[in-house]
Amino acid sequence: MSFVQKILLKFEPKPQNLLRALREIQKENQFVGPEVCREVAKYFSLPLARVFSLASFFDDISVKKTRKKIIKVCSGGTCLMNESEKVIRQIEMMLGVKVGNDAHPKYKLELMSCRGLCDRGPVMIVDKNIFEKVKAEDVDDLIKNYL
Amino acid sequence: MQIITKNWEKIKPLEIGSYIRVGGYESLRKAIREMSPAEVIEEIKKSGLRGRGGAGFPTGDKWELAAKTAADRKYFICNLDESEPGVYKDRIIAEKNPHQIIEGLAIGAYAIGAKKVFIYINGHYDGAAEILEIALKQAEEKEFIGRSAMGSPVDIEIEIFRSAGAYICGEETALLNSMEGQRGEPRLKPPFPPVRGLFGRPTVINNAETLANIPYILKRGAKTFAQIGLKSSPGTKLFILGGAVKNPGVFEAPLGTSMRDLIYNSLYGGGIAKGKELWFVQLAGACGRLVPPAKLDQPLAYGQCEFALGSGSILVVHKGVDLKNLLFSWADFFHRESCGKCVPCREGTYRLWEIAKRLQNNDGREKDRENVEEILWTLANTTFCPLGNFAATAWQDSINLFGDQIFDQK
Repeated sequence: MSFVQKILLKFEPKPQNLLRALREIQKENQFVGPEVCREVAKYFSLPLARVFSLASFFDDISVKKTRKKIIKVCSGGTCLMNESEKVIRQIEMMLGVKVGNDAHPKYKLELMSCRGLCDRGPVMIVDKNIFEKVKAEDVDDLIKNYL
Repeated sequence: MQIITKNWEKIKPLEIGSYIRVGGYESLRKAIREMSPAEVIEEIKKSGLRGRGGAGFPTGDKWELAAKTAADRKYFICNLDESEPGVYKDRIIAEKNPHQIIEGLAIGAYAIGAKKVFIYINGHYDGAAEILEIALKQAEEKEFIGRSAMGSPVDIEIEIFRSAGAYICGEETALLNSMEGQRGEPRLKPPFPPVRGLFGRPTVINNAETLANIPYILKRGAKTFAQIGLKSSPGTKLFILGGAVKNPGVFEAPLGTSMRDLIYNSLYGGGIAKGKELWFVQLAGACGRLVPPAKLDQPLAYGQCEFALGSGSILVVHKGVDLKNLLFSWADFFHRESCGKCVPCREGTYRLWEIAKRLQNNDGREKDRENVEEILWTLANTTFCPLGNFAATAWQDSINLFGDQIFDQK
């Protein structure tokens, strides 16, 4: 049995479980591609297009696989007031990337929407690690240890 | 004045006993054993409670509409999606006193006749979701919820539903679509969810903070609640102070408190942060109005104010902040979060983002101001849902207050 099937069997094939199942598959696999969507569609008796269109809608579900290490920094106003801009510039400089740009072969720096950690910003995420109160001076260490 | 945060220092979120000891679940008991659903609704209507998610719709009216609509089954949903930048007060309630939300939810479900209840929670709120899961198990063990709640023939089954990163899913009809396994695009209203909601059934969707007020209203009475705050906007609100204040954080204050009070009073913000000077304030989050210092004496309440308080965020922006970075922050957020359903928002937020990027790089062009004003008009007047309107608000205020700073050509 594939790991997708193992996850699917935890859910009754009802519409309210569709997003739940996709979330779990994403957590396990870090991406939900067209082949996975096909299995999910079969289990739920839904068209592939329906499942794929749901998967491609949400920020936390990736329909594309990537080998790059992704760094995300919150783009919200509160983090900005706490100098998130300086953190972004520092990361750009140290890694030779530009925020939002996909050109670097190993790293991608992205902006992300507010995570509701505004009391501890700026917030930065590398893989699944969440860093809080990040300052430009911390970037050097974080890159050395987590990338 | 404490309604929401009352007794929080005595409560351990993972210990239902600590909530029971300070009177927890007594309101639910009173509702199910001593009151009819109609009486519960009447009490909430009398209290004047209005939704705390931002829209401020009268809660009692919403419950009444769902109760009156005949259907084979009904649903009740707690909206804990909370994705507005600068807002995290619902997370705090869930982490500090999850049972307060659960009790409010159960009372609401009883009032409208819903057996199935969902807590729709922001997919990133892992900690809060785990705490709520444990709290739900404990409440079920005590038979406060679940089959035969409080020993009555009433079933109240509460489940958690986790979202997957979409601001638009905080909008109630987009929320419903995502729960039904559809893209989180909003629906046309009317019909409103209390008439036709989840799977076409009557559904009440209330913000978590709204629900956190319910136990107090039943325990102390609608009249007591109605006397706090303002007549047309009673009760208290959790305000979230951020930016250049001495004490950033979440504070409970009566509705009708002024912005100046919230920022400077030592009970709340405690004044401007050391070494910084106040420039302006943004309310409500990325979608909120900009308030110049001269207008800070205005009260924050639902309904009658010049500046909408929204979900209660107060961002203090200090002098020296590059406005172009803020403009980009707003444009970046809305272009990412636009659901794509309607052309004006899908295209408008994208083009605004493109222009914002150039302005941030000091690469302004001659027609920028004209184009931005046209985009803002389109977003403010023609989009399918309020997200488009939200995308325009802060930009429009920025242009009105600081237009020449943004578009000055070298």
